Amino acid sequence: MKHAGMPDWRAWLAVAAGGLAGTELRYGLGLVFPDAAGAVPWTTLGINVAGSFVLAALTTLWIARPHTAFWVRAGLGPGLLGAFTTFSALVFSIDQLARAGEHPVWLIYLGLSLLLGLGAAAAGWRTGRLMVDRTEAVR
Amino acid sequence: MGAALVGVFGVAGALLRFAVDSWFAHRTQRHGSSSAGHRTGSSTGTPRHWPWATLVVNATGCLIIGLSIGITGRLGLAPEWQTAVATGLAGGLTTFSSWTTATVRLLSESRSGAAALNVGANLAAGFAAAAIGIAIAS
Repeated sequence: MKHAGMPDWRAWLAVAAGGLAGTELRYGLGLVFPDAAGAVPWTTLGINVAGSFVLAALTTLWIARPHTAFWVRAGLGPGLLGAFTTFSALVFSIDQLARAGEHPVWLIYLGLSLLLGLGAAAAGWRTGRLMVDRTEAVR
Repeated sequence: MGAALVGVFGVAGALLRFAVDSWFAHRTQRHGSSSAGHRTGSSTGTPRHWPWATLVVNATGCLIIGLSIGITGRLGLAPEWQTAVATGLAGGLTTFSSWTTATVRLLSESRSGAAALNVGANLAAGFAAAAIGIAIAS
């Protein structure tokens, strides 16, 4: 049942392994630093901001080096970082905060998620580019 | 027990997301544009890619997390199952980092309209899906 152009088993295995690590890391951080009810979920925010930075940096590195093994990219990108960061928890927390009438809190959370999340991705993007430029200057 | 259950559901979510990602990448590739896999093609040429796969998994995951809250209680399941579905399945299926990275990539290609649409569409679909999930399950 192998489609031409569909990823091979190594990529699926790498995504499963990366997905397990990313999920457990996010779950573990949530246990160590539990998000308080009625407040900004700082742990989820930190996870999403950190993951955005790393994925954007890796993406620019992989654009410059398209020969990086696909299973490595799949395991780290969609696997580890995709599972580590979460969109559903962000949306659900905002929904619950809004229903509880905590309007300043959810507005701050949404604003910070957009500002810091996109800012981290932009910073990661630039960092990746700089790393590529530097390694190419050395060659 | 809790951590193992969250892990199994998280792997399922990640694999499902990768399947959706691959399906969309395969489709765009067949239609002769964009790149395969994790959007690592060249940023020149005719970049008609748009992160549809991320929108689909993010909206679906928000529906699942909305459903998980009411349904596990109604079925009388232990709280570990709710955590497994919400933190594991919905958390593993949805992604924040691909969403922000794809937005920055669109901005780097001077496609600010597409980038703004990506931000707005994920939020609108996510909130609507979560509200639908909560309404169905309650």
